[in-house]
Amino acid sequence: MRFGGVEVLRGIDFTVRRRELRCVIGPNGAGKSTLFKCLTGQLTPSAGNILFKGEPIVGLPSFDIAQRGVGIKTQVPSLFDGLTVRQNVWLAARRLLDEAAALATTHSLMERVGIDMIAEAAVGRLAHGQRQLVELAMVVAADPDLILLDEPAAGMTKDEVGRLAELVRELSGEHSIIVVEHDMQFIGMIATTVTVLHQGQILMEDEVGRVMTDPRVRSVYLGKLKVG
Amino acid sequence: MRGSRAWVDGLTVLIAIAVILLVPQLLELYSVINATIYVSMAVLALSLALVWGFGGILCFGQAAFFGLGGYTYAIAAINFGDSNLPVLFAVALPACFAALLGYFVFWGRLNDVYLGVITLTVALILFKFFNATAGDAYKIGKAALGGFNGIPATPPLNLPWDKSVQLAPEQIWYVAATLLLLLYYVSRCLLSTHFGQVVVSIRENERRAELLGYDTRRYKLLIFTVGGAMAGVSGVLFANCVFVSPTMFSLSYNAQIIIWVMIGGLGTLSGPILGSVLLQMLTAELGTLQWLDPNFVLGAILVVFVLLIPRGLQPLIAALGERTFSGLAALGFRRRKWIKP
Repeated sequence: MRFGGVEVLRGIDFTVRRRELRCVIGPNGAGKSTLFKCLTGQLTPSAGNILFKGEPIVGLPSFDIAQRGVGIKTQVPSLFDGLTVRQNVWLAARRLLDEAAALATTHSLMERVGIDMIAEAAVGRLAHGQRQLVELAMVVAADPDLILLDEPAAGMTKDEVGRLAELVRELSGEHSIIVVEHDMQFIGMIATTVTVLHQGQILMEDEVGRVMTDPRVRSVYLGKLKVG
Repeated sequence: MRGSRAWVDGLTVLIAIAVILLVPQLLELYSVINATIYVSMAVLALSLALVWGFGGILCFGQAAFFGLGGYTYAIAAINFGDSNLPVLFAVALPACFAALLGYFVFWGRLNDVYLGVITLTVALILFKFFNATAGDAYKIGKAALGGFNGIPATPPLNLPWDKSVQLAPEQIWYVAATLLLLLYYVSRCLLSTHFGQVVVSIRENERRAELLGYDTRRYKLLIFTVGGAMAGVSGVLFANCVFVSPTMFSLSYNAQIIIWVMIGGLGTLSGPILGSVLLQMLTAELGTLQWLDPNFVLGAILVVFVLLIPRGLQPLIAALGERTFSGLAALGFRRRKWIKP
C-alpha cells in the first residue's frame, strides 16, 4: 500500500484460518490500521491481492465486503452518535434479520456486552470505553465471519479490559478474529498467534509467549531496530 | 412517555382537521388562496425536511423539482384538458429527474458542498432555460412555455370522476391542506421503517452504515427521489393557486426553502412546515410596508436563529411544552397530595 512516495505496507503475506484468533501488534506507524482499511475496502492496495473465503475482495466497496462477512470495530469508535445504543445495535442486526429477530439479537447482545443499562442513552454522550463496547456489539450483531478489532481495549478500565478479553475469547469460538492492539497485557490475555508489523512489513509471526520475549520485538517497541 | 406522545399526536390531528375545515368558513377568498399558497410551499419545505433533515443530503436546488412539477402539470393539463393524468405526470417527472440526478451524484460519491453546488446549478440552468422559452418556437402541443412570463392560464384540478367539474379555490384549499397532512404522516411512517432508520443512520455516519453492509447510495437515491416527487406535488398545488413561471426555479426560492427548514428545525418534519408558513406570512405582511425591505428582516431572523436558536423552532416549542407539561404534572401531584394527605 503506497501513499504517494511513502510505502506504508510492503510484502504483507499472512493467512487467518476459520475461527482463528490472531493478534497484530506493532509500534505507531507500523501500518496496522492501514491493513484493516485495506481489508474492509476503505483503501485499495496499490498492488497485491486479498482473498476472503477464497474470493478476491480488492477493489470492492466497503458495503460489499461487509455483506460478504467482514466486520470492523475501528480505532476511534465509529457510531451513529445521534441515535441511542439500542438503535445502533438494532441497525446492525436488522440488515440480515427480520424485525423480531433483530430486536431479540439486540437485546441479548447488549446484555452480553454489558451495555443494557445504557440502552436508551445517545451514544454521542457516552465515555470512550462505553463507545468501544457499543461498537463491538454492533459488529457482532451483524454476524460477520471475520471480525477486525482495532485497539478494542483503548480507554477501558482494568475490569473492563478483563471482561473484554473474556468476550473476545468467547467470540473466537464463533468467528475468525484479528485484533490490533498496543496493550500487551490484553494481548497476553487473548492471543495465541501474534503477527508483528514494523515499518509496513511483517517482522515475525509466532506464538504469543515467544513473541513477547523476542529481542527483535522488544527493540522495535523501544525503537532500536532498523529494518532495511 | 409513549402515551403522552400519542395524546399530542391525536390533538395535533384534531387541530389540523379543524383548521382545514374552518379556513374557508372564516377567511375571505383572497386569504384562502394565500393560505393555499402557504400550504403548497409547506409541502415543498416538508420535501427538503425529509431529504436534508433526515437524509443528510443538502439539496440546494429543491426548487428544481418544484418547478418541474408545476410546469409538467401546466403543460399536460393544457394539452389533456383535465387534471387526472397531468397530476401523475407532475409527480413522476420530478421523481425521475431526481432519480437520474441522484444516480450521477451518489454513484459519483459527491457529498456535502459539491452536492449543494450541483443541485443549485441544475436549478439555475432550468431557470435560465425556461426564461429563454419565449415565442412560438417553444410550444409543447397546445401549451406555450411563455419565457419569462411562464404559463398564465393553468387549468385547475377537476374531480377525478367528473372531468367537467373544476375545483373552486376553496376546494383546492381542502385538497392542498389534506395532502400536506397526509404527506406529513406518510413521511413519519416512512422514517419509522427499517428504510427510514437506515436513512437517518447514513445522516449520522455514512462510513459506519457502509461498514455494516448497507449500500448507502441506494438509500440516498431513494429518499432523494421521494423528496423530488413530494416537491412535484408542491409544484402542482402552486400551479393551481398562482401560475407557473421560471421564478419557481430561482435562487430566491431555493434559498427560502433552506431558510424555512433551518428556522423550523432541521431534523424535524413539523418544524419546516411551521417555519415555511410563519415566514411566508411574515414576508407577506412586511411586503405591505414601503419603508422596510422584507429580505433584510428575513436575513436578520436567520442570523438570530443561527446564533441563538440553532436547533430551530420546533425543538424549542417541544422543550417549552415538555417543561410546561411536567410543571403542570408536578403541580397536580402536589394538589392531590394536599387534598388527600
